Amino acid sequence: MDSTAEVTASGHVFMPYTAILQHDLRTLWRSRLVRLWLAVACLLSILVTLGNWTQLQDAPLIAMLLFPFLIFPWFLVVIVLGVTPVSATHTDTLADGILCRPVTRYGYVLATWGARVFTVLGVYLLTVLPLCAVIVLVKRPVPADHVTFYGLVTTLGSVALVLTLVVSLGFLAGTLLQKPLLAAVVLVFVWYPVNVVLSAFSLEEFSPISLNQAATTQLRAQWGLDPNDRTAASAAEAQTLARQAEKFVSLLSGTPTQPQKPEFFEPGKFEDFSLARVMLSYGLATLAAFGLSVFCFCRRDL
Amino acid sequence: MISDSDSIRASQTQGLPTDTVHAQAQWAIQTEHLTKIYAQRLIAVNDMALEVPKGSVFGLLGPNGAGKTTTLRLLLGLQRPTGGWARVFGIPCGPNAVGVRRMIGYLPTNPKLPGHLRPIEYLDLLGKLCHLPHAVRKPRISSLLRTVGLLGATNQLIRTFSTGMCTRLGIAASLVGDPPLLIWDEPTAGLDPSARRFTLDLISELGKTKTVIIATHILNDIDQICDHLGIMQEGRMIYTGSIKDLKQRLGLDEFCLELDGSLAAIERVTQETMALGLQTRCQDARTLYVRLTDDQTRASVLARVLALIESQGVRLDAIHSSQNTTENAYLQLLQEDQSHGFDR
Repeated sequence: MDSTAEVTASGHVFMPYTAILQHDLRTLWRSRLVRLWLAVACLLSILVTLGNWTQLQDAPLIAMLLFPFLIFPWFLVVIVLGVTPVSATHTDTLADGILCRPVTRYGYVLATWGARVFTVLGVYLLTVLPLCAVIVLVKRPVPADHVTFYGLVTTLGSVALVLTLVVSLGFLAGTLLQKPLLAAVVLVFVWYPVNVVLSAFSLEEFSPISLNQAATTQLRAQWGLDPNDRTAASAAEAQTLARQAEKFVSLLSGTPTQPQKPEFFEPGKFEDFSLARVMLSYGLATLAAFGLSVFCFCRRDL
Repeated sequence: MISDSDSIRASQTQGLPTDTVHAQAQWAIQTEHLTKIYAQRLIAVNDMALEVPKGSVFGLLGPNGAGKTTTLRLLLGLQRPTGGWARVFGIPCGPNAVGVRRMIGYLPTNPKLPGHLRPIEYLDLLGKLCHLPHAVRKPRISSLLRTVGLLGATNQLIRTFSTGMCTRLGIAASLVGDPPLLIWDEPTAGLDPSARRFTLDLISELGKTKTVIIATHILNDIDQICDHLGIMQEGRMIYTGSIKDLKQRLGLDEFCLELDGSLAAIERVTQETMALGLQTRCQDARTLYVRLTDDQTRASVLARVLALIESQGVRLDAIHSSQNTTENAYLQLLQEDQSHGFDR
C-alpha cells in the first residue's frame, strides 16, 4: 500500500472522531459561555497588567495573571465545560444523535474531551500569552527581572496541565454523578480544600495554590544544570519523593511520624520546586481521571 | 449462552466487510434469553427469543411499557443486556460494536436533534460518523432532503422545526449510511395524516430492498406495511411470525359489510348467508360480519354474499376486509397471555 493510501485509510478510520472533535469545537466556540469567558478573561488580564505595570517585576506580574486560571474564578468555568457533555441531561441527545451511529464510546469520550481541552487551553493561551510577551519584552519602570524562556514555557505548561486535569475531573464527576449541577458543586467542594488535604499528606507541593506561589521561582529557572548539580538534584528529588511517600503511607496507616520542619513552602522560598514531580503528579492524575471516566461511560446505559 | 462455534463465527465475521456479513447472515436479528433488568428492580426485557428474517418488514407491537424501545436500544448497544445475547446479521451487539451500528439506521421516537445546527450540517456530521467520503456524502444528503421533503427548510435551524419535520429529518438521518437494516421506533408518532401516509409509503418502498423493523402500538400501521410481527407484553415476546399466520392461527379472517335498507331485508340476508354454511353475525342491525374458514376462499364467499345482498334489494355502503383482524388477534393474544398466569 502506498503512503497516500495509508493516509486515506487512517483518515477514514478516524473520520467519525475528527468529525465529533470539529463539531464540538465549533459548538463550544459558538457558545455564549466560551465567548463571554474569553472576553472577560482578556479584559481582566489587561486590567491586572495595567494596574501593576509600574509596581511588579515580570515574574510576579505573570504569576498574578495565572492566578484566575489556577484558583479563582476561571476554574469554575473549566469545571462547567468539563461536566456537561457526559452528564445525564445530554444522554438522550447523545444516544439519538451520535452513539447509535458507528462510533465507539471511548472514541466519543476521547474526541469530546479533546475538544474541551483544546477550548480551555485556547482561551487560556489567547488570554495569557500575548500579555506575557508584552511584559517580558517591553521595558517598564521596574527593576529588571530574569524571566527565562524555559521558565516561561514550563510555568505556562504546568498551568495548562492543571487545567487539563480540571477538565478530566469534570468529565469524571459528570459521568459518575450524572447531574451537572451536583457534579460542579462536588468538584468545587473537593478542589478548594485540596491544599489542606495535600498539606496533611505533605504533598502541598502539588496544590494549585502552591503552584501559583512557586510560579515566580519557576519563571526565573534556567534550562539544564552542570553534571554535579544534576546528580545532587536527582538525589535530593529521590529523597524528597521517599520522604513524601513515607509520610503518605504512615498517615494512611495511622502510624505516628516525627514532626518535621517544613522545608518547601516557607514564605518566599521555592528553590526546591520540582517541575518533574509536579508534571508527573498532575499528568498521572489526569490520566487516572480520564481513564476512569471512560470506563464509567462505557459501562453506562443510555 | 453463546457456543464456541458461534463465538468463532462471530469473531470471524467481525473482520469481514459489512456487505459480506450482511449477505452471509440468515437472520437480520437474532436474540436468545435476552434480558434487561434495571437496578435489580424493573424487568424491562424478559428472557426474549427473537428471530427477524432478512428482507422482512417486521412490526414490533406491544402496549406502552412492554419493552419495545429497550429491546431496540439493546440491539444498538446503547444499553447492556443483564443476560442473554443479541446479534445483528450474525455480529454480537454491544456498546463498542461499531460493525453492528454501521448496518443499522435508527430512528428514535420524537428524536432529540441538535437545535443549533441546520439540516445539512447535521446530516453531514452523521455522514462523517458513517465514514462516508465527501464525494458520496454531499449528493446523498441533498437526495435525502428532497426525499423527505425538507429541501425548503435547509436554511432553518433545527430548533425551529415542528415535530413532523424533526421526524422527517430523523428518517433522513437513519438513511444517511444506506444501512441494510432500519430500526424505526414509532415513526408515525405526532405526525399529521399526510406525513403519516408519506412515512408508511416510504417504509413500504424501503422494505423492498432492506430489512425494516417498526416498533409501534398503532395496529393500523402494522396492518398496512408489515409482513412479520412480534408482539411484546411485559418484556416478553408472546408471538412472533407472519401476520398471515397470526390471523390463521386465531381464525379471525373475516370481512365486514355495511348495509343500508329495511331491517327485515338485512335480517333475511343474514339468515340466508348462515344457510350457506358461512359463520355470520349481525351487529347494530346494519353491519354484517362474515368469517372465513380454512376451506373457503375470500373471493368465492364474497361473490355469494354479494349476490344475496343484490337479490334482497339491500344497498351495500362499504366493505372492510379484515380491517380489525390484527387488532382482534392482538387483543386476544394479550388476553390469552394474561390468563395463563404462572404458565407464562
